[in-house]
Amino acid sequence: MWLDPQVIQSVPSLLDGWMLTVELTLLGAAGSLACGHLALAMQLTRIAPLRWLARLYISFMRGTPSLVQLFMVFFALPLIGLGGRPMLAAALTLGLNSGAYTAEILRGNMRVVTRGQIEAATALGMAPWLIALRIALPQMLKASLPALVNEFTILLKTTPLASAVAVTELVYAGQMVIARIYTSTQIMLLVSAGYLSVVLPVIWLGRRLRQRAPSTMRGT
Amino acid sequence: MTFDLAVLTAYVPALLHGFVDTIWLCVLSGALACALGIALVVGRRRGSRLLVVLIDGYVALTLALPLLVLLYVTFYVLPDFGLLLPASVVGVLTLAIYYAPYVAQVIQAAIDAVPAGTIEAGVAIGMSPLAIGRRIVAPQALPLLLPTLTGLMIGLFKDSALLSVISVHELMFTAKGVVSDTYAPLEVYFAVALVYWATTATLNHATRQWERRLALAHGVALER
Repeated sequence: MWLDPQVIQSVPSLLDGWMLTVELTLLGAAGSLACGHLALAMQLTRIAPLRWLARLYISFMRGTPSLVQLFMVFFALPLIGLGGRPMLAAALTLGLNSGAYTAEILRGNMRVVTRGQIEAATALGMAPWLIALRIALPQMLKASLPALVNEFTILLKTTPLASAVAVTELVYAGQMVIARIYTSTQIMLLVSAGYLSVVLPVIWLGRRLRQRAPSTMRGT
Repeated sequence: MTFDLAVLTAYVPALLHGFVDTIWLCVLSGALACALGIALVVGRRRGSRLLVVLIDGYVALTLALPLLVLLYVTFYVLPDFGLLLPASVVGVLTLAIYYAPYVAQVIQAAIDAVPAGTIEAGVAIGMSPLAIGRRIVAPQALPLLLPTLTGLMIGLFKDSALLSVISVHELMFTAKGVVSDTYAPLEVYFAVALVYWATTATLNHATRQWERRLALAHGVALER
């Protein structure tokens, strides 16, 4: 049963799926950072409707299953003329979904930036946007790094959902192979190994960051 | 394309039925996950070295694998070993297996947070282990445990939508059926999203109230 030649022949298509999974994760992470920063910025403005919109976005993304969100995005995209692009729908959903969590992580680490620093920067005549860019954000990102890495492992573990809209990432590639050669156990084990090969290093990285984080992270 | 929620009126009973099924699946797998989580905590503390290694391996695997992959593994692999279970059973078991390590982590962290001195004091004045558990550990650990545990259960509730891919009859599966009947995917998924959203919001709110009451009752100061 082991080392079935058909299983070996299917390895290239699984590798293609693996690549697409990694690609989805990176796209999702980029989207997540963008949405997270945007949602945080919206929450910090003086314009109340923007703040409500950000709260609504975060609450919706955290309160509904990502599968439902994926289908909503997938079926909403044709409305703006972008139908038939499952990869776009999947990457967009991952970014939007994870962005809500990223926004919360960043907001939770805002207290790292002490009032005194902001006052000092203001006294030096720095513009508010410059203070945000040069003083607040670098410290917040540094403090948020372990939590963000953790969030990206979760993002990575959400990518198989894309198989539901026929993106040929690792799980879908595996299913197609299973449908062709009828040996499910070995293929599913290969698929699992494929995920472990990405997730375990990321988890390890997150753990190291967490260990190295201590004193500098705490702020005062 | 128009957005018209009226197409759904005929399908409200079906969707409600799906929602009730989702709740049942979640209650079952949530209870199982908690039971298994407690077993994991006890096993790691009291078990032999082999058991501890096995538990650690299981925990590391489930923390690293996506739920969907775990779902397919149980769904495709068990029949290869002659074990053909109904999809709903596979779904409930997989959810429980996936969430148990998280539950175990949460329980472990809450127990670790109870100052050892308070337990030693209980022993010193001759309290029984049961009384120590009920009157010293529980009041201090529960306010820490509950918010994170209900957070996990909310995660489980959201993840239960995934069971639809192995055709377990629950809300998301019903929704897919309604979509193929009405050809109105946006309306259907919008309505379904609202149902999930309302439920998680209610759970969140209830947790916060409960947390506050517990903290007040036991005089434990809450962070935040």
